[in-house]
Formats: sequence, C-alpha cells, structure tokens
Amino acid sequence: MSKINLSIRTESDISEAVRQSRAMAGRLGFSTTSAYYIATAASELAANLWIHAGGGVITLQRLDGKGGMELTTIDHGPGIADIDRALEDGFSTANGLGCGLPGVKRLMDELDIASFPGVRTEIKARKWL
Amino acid sequence: MGPSVCVYLWRVFYCCRGEDYYRWGTTKKGIDVSTKSNTAVLSTLLEQNRTAIIEEWKRTVMDSLGHKYPGVLSMDELHRHADMKLSAFSAYFSTCGEALVTVTKESTLGRMVYELSTDHDMRGIKPVDTALYLVALKKAISHRLALLLPNSQEQLVDLLEPLFGLMDQLTLLSFDAYSTTREKVIAQQSQSLMELSTPVIVLWNNVLLLPLVGVIDTIRARQFTERMLEAITRHEGIVTIIDVTGVPVFDTGVARHIMKAVDAAQLLGSKVVMTGISPEGAQTLTKLGISFANVTSRVSLRAGVAEALKLVGRRIELINGAN
Repeated sequence: MSKINLSIRTESDISEAVRQSRAMAGRLGFSTTSAYYIATAASELAANLWIHAGGGVITLQRLDGKGGMELTTIDHGPGIADIDRALEDGFSTANGLGCGLPGVKRLMDELDIASFPGVRTEIKARKWL
Repeated sequence: MGPSVCVYLWRVFYCCRGEDYYRWGTTKKGIDVSTKSNTAVLSTLLEQNRTAIIEEWKRTVMDSLGHKYPGVLSMDELHRHADMKLSAFSAYFSTCGEALVTVTKESTLGRMVYELSTDHDMRGIKPVDTALYLVALKKAISHRLALLLPNSQEQLVDLLEPLFGLMDQLTLLSFDAYSTTREKVIAQQSQSLMELSTPVIVLWNNVLLLPLVGVIDTIRARQFTERMLEAITRHEGIVTIIDVTGVPVFDTGVARHIMKAVDAAQLLGSKVVMTGISPEGAQTLTKLGISFANVTSRVSLRAGVAEALKLVGRRIELINGAN
C-alpha cells in the first residue's frame, strides 16, 4: 500500500496513525530513527486534528522520484490564523507545550501549511529518504 | 409516463369503485378479504400457513448455513425460532391498522430480534448470516403468499408491502443489536486493559517503580499519575523510577503528560528517575525542543535502579566476593 487515509475522530485514532506511519516508513526503507521522526510528526499532526480541528483526515503517502514519504492532514476546523506564530516555539492556543508544529518542521524535511480559517486547512509534511 | 404510473392510475380507478377492486383481489381458494385491511389478512394467512412457511424456511437456512456452522444450528431450534417469530408476526400484523407500527427495541418483536442477534453473536454466527436468517424468512413467507394468490399480482403486492416493511425493520434492528453487543465487549476489554496496564511496584523501602507500557493517552496519563501519587503518599516514596521502555512514541502529548506527573511527584517530595528512553526517542525529544531539565535520566532500568538506591543511601553488591 502506497497511500493510507485515516480518519481522526477520537484520541485512539492518533495511535493508529502512529502505528501505520511508522510501519510505512519502515517499509519504504527509512532508518529506525527517521521512522521514529515520521511517526512522531504523524502523532503531532493527528493530535492537532483531534485537539484543535474537531477531527479530520490524515493521509500517509509514498513519494516517488527521489523517494520519500508525505503526511497530509485536511480539516475543516477553525484553521490557523497566524501561520508564522504557529511555527514559533512556545506558542500554544490550547495549553500545550507549544512545540508541536515547529517540532514537525524540524522532524521532517519540508512543511507546507495552507489555511483558510473556518473553511479548510491543509498541512503537508515531507521527508526524503 | 412509466408503467408504474399506469398501474397507479389503474389502481386509483379501481379503488374508486371500491367493492369491485376487492372482489378482483379475492381468489379461488376462498380467502375473504373484502372487509379486512391488508395487515389483518396477512396476520390470518401467516396463522393458516404456519407449517408450510416454517418447513420452507428451515430448508433454506439449513441449505445455506448448515454447512458453515456444523452442529451449531439444530432443526428443533430453528423450528422453535420460526414458530415464535410467526406468532409474533401475526400478532403484530393483527394490531397494525393500515399503517405499519415502528418496531422498537422494547417491543416483543424487537426483543426477539435482539435476543436472536446476541445469541448468534455468542455462538459465533456472523451478523451477515443472522441477516440471512431473517431474509430467508421473508422469502419463505412471500413464496407462500405467491402460491396462495397465483392470479392476483395486485393483491400480492399489497400484502408484500407491509411484510417487507416489517422485515426490513427487523434486519436493521438485528444489526443495531449486533453493534450494541460489540460496543459492550469493546468497553469491557478496554476497561480490563486499563486495570492491568499501570502497576506501581514498591521496589525497596521508599523506592517506587512505574513501568509505562503502551500508548499514553489522556485517560491513561491521568490514571498512572493518580496511582503514582497515591503510592508515593502511602509508601513515603523518596525516589520514583518511571520506566518508559514500553512507550511506542514520545511526542509532545506524551511528554506533557509525563512532565505533569513528574511535577506532581516532586511536589510530594519524591525525586524522579526516568529510564528507558530509546536513542530515537532522545533525538526526537531534542528536535521537538523538549528537555526534562528537572529529571534525572538513566539509559536502562538497571542503571535507574542503581541510581535510585544510591539516592536512598543503599547499593547492590556482591556477596562474599562472588562474581
């Protein structure tokens, strides 16, 4: 399977995303450490869907070409008003540690965020082999 | 204008003529339907043809399910089930007027389907086969009705409509019953998982060990924090070892839960030694920018135990120079 869609509605869906992304990263040939990074990033993104967006979908996908893996989340929650601030360390709107999104950025190679507050938010995080 | 509309207009025409319509529906077998509602007729027909319907149904069920569940379904039992159902059907239809009554979980029929579904679940019969069980009954009844009314399609349709309405409701209920049973099972399982998942071990006087295994979600985090604090109070824990070897992924959520637990333990005067963070976990934590600054960390549980004992002024040593 080179593409997996997971619906995140409850807290236990987050651990399913962790399991699946770790397994997929392993299959694609990532090292144990990189697979751990990807699984953690998936966990952060899925937790954001659960905590902030009231649910959404996370897609785990193989990237062809130079080879890699992409995590995509799509939700229709309140959205991210200030993307630059959301990427600052220590900024949190929900009493978190404030290192989720900046953490994802450091764990992965690329991070794209597109948010239309109240309409649709899409986050793509990529890591290359 | 499609054929169904034609039939409809035709029916309206005949209905207007009242008596003629009903006379048309009467059959040679002498079923008098001139004054009764469809449901009442259905009720009577079910009573009169009970044996034939049961026989056909038993045959169908045995043919399609008998080989799948050898020894699970017996003819006697099927007979009893069918008999009970047909009585309930005919009672149901006799109380219905022109409009079908909704079958609730609490009604006789609803309870019957719930019991059937639960019973099948316990005996390992799949929900799709339970549905087949009900569908076969629908088939058996409609076959019988078709045999009784060979020349009057129209009346047959009128009788099948309430029958199908009821059977559909029952099939839906059987799925509802199945998912209810399953949800109960899942709730019980997660409850028992919870109970075995967070033990607090008294390792030595004033030294406690908390091995965390599996996913740390909000509920688990609250539970292990409570148990840990309670144990610290009861055993005057001076050192608490939190072993995270069994935690699959250390993300900010897990880190936050553990930090809170550590803070609470320190407020009660217990030092915390954390053990078992994997090399990947350690690198991930630094990438995330999380540092457990106020926590002593050791690579393995063995090193953690040595550290904890040192903190209470003890150590493990060889007896009489053995090695």
